[in-house]
Amino acid sequence: MKGYLGIDVGSVSTNLVFLNEGGIVREAIYLRTQGQPIATVQKGLKELNGRLPDGVKVRGAGVTGSGRHLTGVLVGADTVKNEITAHAVASLLLVPGVQTILEIGGQDSKIIILRNGVVTDFAMNTVCAAGTGSFLDQQAARLNIPIEQFGEIALQAESPVRIAGRCAVFAESDMIHKQQMGCGLPDILAGLCEALVRNYLNNVGKGKEILAPVVFQGGVAANVGMAKAFEKALELPVTVPAHFDVMGAVGAALLAREAVARTGVSRFKGFSVADSLFKTGSFECSGCPNMCEVVEVAEQGSVIARWGDRCGKWSEDVGKKEKIS
Amino acid sequence: MKVGIPRALLYYYYYPMWRTFFEELGAEVVLSSPSTRVTLAQGLKHAVDEVCLPVKLFFGHVLDLAGKVDYIFLPRMVSVEHHKYICPKFLGLPDMIRRLEGLPDLIGVDVNLYRKDRDLYTVINNVGSLFTGNKLKIFRAYRSSIKTLQKYYRLLHLGLMPAEALAVLDNKVGDKPLNYPFELNVAVIGHPYNIYDSYISMNLTGRLKEMGAAVFTAEHVPEKTLRSNAARLPKKLFWSLGQRMIGAAFHYLDRPDISGLVHVAAFGCGPDSMTGELIERHARALRAPFLNLTLDEHTGEAGIVTRLEAFLDMVRWKKAEAAGI
Repeated sequence: MKGYLGIDVGSVSTNLVFLNEGGIVREAIYLRTQGQPIATVQKGLKELNGRLPDGVKVRGAGVTGSGRHLTGVLVGADTVKNEITAHAVASLLLVPGVQTILEIGGQDSKIIILRNGVVTDFAMNTVCAAGTGSFLDQQAARLNIPIEQFGEIALQAESPVRIAGRCAVFAESDMIHKQQMGCGLPDILAGLCEALVRNYLNNVGKGKEILAPVVFQGGVAANVGMAKAFEKALELPVTVPAHFDVMGAVGAALLAREAVARTGVSRFKGFSVADSLFKTGSFECSGCPNMCEVVEVAEQGSVIARWGDRCGKWSEDVGKKEKIS
Repeated sequence: MKVGIPRALLYYYYYPMWRTFFEELGAEVVLSSPSTRVTLAQGLKHAVDEVCLPVKLFFGHVLDLAGKVDYIFLPRMVSVEHHKYICPKFLGLPDMIRRLEGLPDLIGVDVNLYRKDRDLYTVINNVGSLFTGNKLKIFRAYRSSIKTLQKYYRLLHLGLMPAEALAVLDNKVGDKPLNYPFELNVAVIGHPYNIYDSYISMNLTGRLKEMGAAVFTAEHVPEKTLRSNAARLPKKLFWSLGQRMIGAAFHYLDRPDISGLVHVAAFGCGPDSMTGELIERHARALRAPFLNLTLDEHTGEAGIVTRLEAFLDMVRWKKAEAAGI
């Protein structure tokens, strides 16, 4: 079997997919990043390699997500793309004709508007992360319910309570207040879902023309309570695609297919990178008052990339162009 | 005698004029160092919480000059044209700065041209008399400062960035060609003190250029064009700076060679929240690619990079679609 590897390293989860040449998802792995992007990517690669049949050939690799630059260096990626493009590309493949993508991840949320298969508008949350996955995670932990059951419980609500969704901290005080007044757990959870949806539509979706088909993806789409709250607020059916939680990785793999079609050869280092020893570290450069925090990645003892410096003194020294700044 | 000028706020509009004026009167002009982490940290420490990011940064620049100069030039810019105002935070700026300790004397004249009868020349005379009793010398310095400013504006209208125009004025142009071909053109609309300060804008214009986009700003558009375009609003704007941004945005949105528009606002800017909205609505009605960026204190560059990348992907995608590829 031949195919393409896509990796999405986000704040909360790291996802890997393997697409066959026809663009069908053959394997998908969802892991928690847990603050260790390198170890998680290596773990994911090992797991993926084990699941795939022997003699599989990776014809290209693409990476996306906030950890894309690091991962790109790690695995030798053919494309390093932002999440918005990756999500749009994946949705277009899995849900033909999609016009609106609602995506809520661990620490960011975005809306992508497509018309005739082309992105025409998008927005990301600006200076506030209220209502993203991390907040739901934290509230589930506080209420002592597994995050997987959050949505199911919310669906049992009879009359969702009103909760302020503008700010995560105030939403929490509101929830505590409602609990102390004696409101039921399902009603509170459903109220929270509605508040987050309201905040999302006012903040990220402000002024956007939301037309069907609407796709809801990202880790938070696992929460059926959120999907239902979206349907209620938009008065439109909302589709949660089968691979909603790994859409970024699917997009990255598709983009890798495109890139390799152009270049002809892949830069993918192979599954053996799962066993390489990577070391990262950072130091503060004292060359000027900017005091940039420079990050350094070393593979088997030799530096393969540096980034974070504004002037390029350190990053260009390695001869790599894959840097954040 | 040394006169210090903070490299912030209206510096980007008037510096060549101010410098020529003081130098003609025999003073030495000292500019604060370009913004760094330290400048911003100083500003954040000493400014009141509710002002916007660029005003906080201004505090840092003033403190950078302390101990190095005899005077700091800090005019109270109330109004620079008939029936229009500069932002209210600029009005209070000299008073906020005066509260700081250990500063040299401030040259804090009021510039208010809101009504025609207030004469700019009286102000010029007051500043000049600090350096000389010779009225003719002041008049000559004024004349040549206006000439320099006009030259600076002409260079900007040719498409140079302020730093490039200043280099031309100083005869410091290197061998590198100033313009090279770009695959697409993008308008960047925002206050000059946000977009040209490469520290707080995280090198926005430089990044766009690296990604293959030529940058067009409001400073490249002659005043007359800005005015006539801003006059398309149903009601006259009374903010000078807002009028410039609206006028430039409307002008660029009409131009077929400009493929997209990036609006840059600083967190906490009141006028920007309104001009940004007006521009966004106009762009949306024309279905032009639009991106809103909010600058804040955070140093994480990933957020800006992701949005810019996605924006340019969208612009390229749309162009390819229009070309029928």
